[in-house]
Amino acid sequence: MDANTMIDSLSTQFPDAIYDTKVESKIRIIAKVKPEIITDVCKYLKENLSFGHLCCEFGVDYPGRNEIEVVYVIGSYDHSVVLTLKAILPRDNPEIESVVPVFWNANWYERETYELFGVKYLNHPDLKPLVLPEDMLGEWPLRKDYKGFPNKTAKNLV
Amino acid sequence: MDEKVGPSEMIVHLGPQHPMMPGPFRLNAKLRGETVVDSEVEMGWIHKGIEKILENKTYLQGITIVDRICYLAALTNEEAYVGCVEKLAGIEVPPRAQYIRVIMEELSRIQSHLLGMGEYASFVGFVSMFMYTIRDREDVMTLMDSVTGARVTHSFLRFGGVKDDLPEGFKDDVKRVFASLRKAVDSYEELYSSDEIYKSRTVGIGVLTAEVAKDIGVSGPPLRATGVAFDIRRDEPYLVYPDLDFKVCVQKAGDVYARVQVRLDEMRESMYIIEQCLDQIPDGPLFPEGTAYGRRTPVMRVPAGEVFHRVEDPRGEMGFYMISDGSDKPYRVKIRGPVYPTLQGLPPLIKGVRVADIVAIAGSMDTCTSEVDR
Repeated sequence: MDANTMIDSLSTQFPDAIYDTKVESKIRIIAKVKPEIITDVCKYLKENLSFGHLCCEFGVDYPGRNEIEVVYVIGSYDHSVVLTLKAILPRDNPEIESVVPVFWNANWYERETYELFGVKYLNHPDLKPLVLPEDMLGEWPLRKDYKGFPNKTAKNLV
Repeated sequence: MDEKVGPSEMIVHLGPQHPMMPGPFRLNAKLRGETVVDSEVEMGWIHKGIEKILENKTYLQGITIVDRICYLAALTNEEAYVGCVEKLAGIEVPPRAQYIRVIMEELSRIQSHLLGMGEYASFVGFVSMFMYTIRDREDVMTLMDSVTGARVTHSFLRFGGVKDDLPEGFKDDVKRVFASLRKAVDSYEELYSSDEIYKSRTVGIGVLTAEVAKDIGVSGPPLRATGVAFDIRRDEPYLVYPDLDFKVCVQKAGDVYARVQVRLDEMRESMYIIEQCLDQIPDGPLFPEGTAYGRRTPVMRVPAGEVFHRVEDPRGEMGFYMISDGSDKPYRVKIRGPVYPTLQGLPPLIKGVRVADIVAIAGSMDTCTSEVDR
């Protein structure tokens, strides 16, 4: 199955939720997805198109558009097509369903996106900071408007 | 992990500073007697914020930063980063530079496997093995040093090429080192396979099945030890790998012993690849001719766009997702390291094993905390 068939199959299955699809090359597809049904889309990808390997999941901050994008890069162990799924969330209150039930290893990626961007994952098994100390929660350091030092961790030192 | 402990249970904290650790992370293991009931990994002691740093550096400055993600895989990290920029800017790397890159990356794979295997051997109480591997690694490091001028953080790759050509007499040096390294790898295999005590500690321990490994998202030697022939060099070729003859080393058992065996085989395979490269390498320029790309590309603007480029690290799939907005600095870089899912998968893997086996299993995964924390 090649990239075009895959993306056709996905858009036929979810005609309202998948938009702006683009086949970049034989092995790269980009698509945008409505955040409400992200778990259904991931489940379909895993079960029907053998996209069983979540390469990574991360956030991108766009303060100009007042949006945060959550990007899922999903590959496969059986074919070499890599699909980039993007869910666009409002910057003031970014919330999205967790995909941990589908991709087990999304757990840490989501914890990291939560602490660095403030994206709240609903129904995540254990949503707490991974790489940052607890008292930096709320700083969202990878957002573009993060001012950096001095921050909360340095408050008691300077 | 549930912090509550039942009767005859206790929580043991391994780390963040512990002789068995390849870097600072903490493993909280809940034990019943000597058996692990539940466990949890805590990260963050060496979080460097490399993804944020890269957003504030020009593309050329970024090369020195990505070296520091994991010092054992500096060259493959550079390859993933530089590959992203080359894809975005549409730069063609001349063949000679591609061959040099492959040679250096395979050398880096050999030295990483040698250190990883030695460290792991000392975890299971085989300390003399560490002395052997670190001695042989030194020869490989000297080879790399003679080309890049650095032992660990090379900053060797450039957009469109490599910093330097191979030095005079490099082929003879490689021949000399590989002759002794081949013997050494054979002797390691002999040592491992003939030692009954070692075997009783590794055969059938920490078994990862192909289904679980895929579910966890593991790649690299731990995955190939379960029988899945997943190798980015073969499945999504980059550089001149399609022109080279090599096999993807696979084992069936998926236990600690098999993971080490895969690394031993891969070292032989890497030596074979390097020898082919040295025979086939054409003459020519190190940078695309008629362009401004060179050792010091002053200010470089990369066309807006985004790209995901992945390479085969010594430990598995190393991918960079780069978003450019057309300026001289990347808008966002996501680093997808191979150890991140591997380390995440440690708790389910050590459930039900004895305490002494934790280090054997964790060590055989060849984890690198620096890369997980970034």
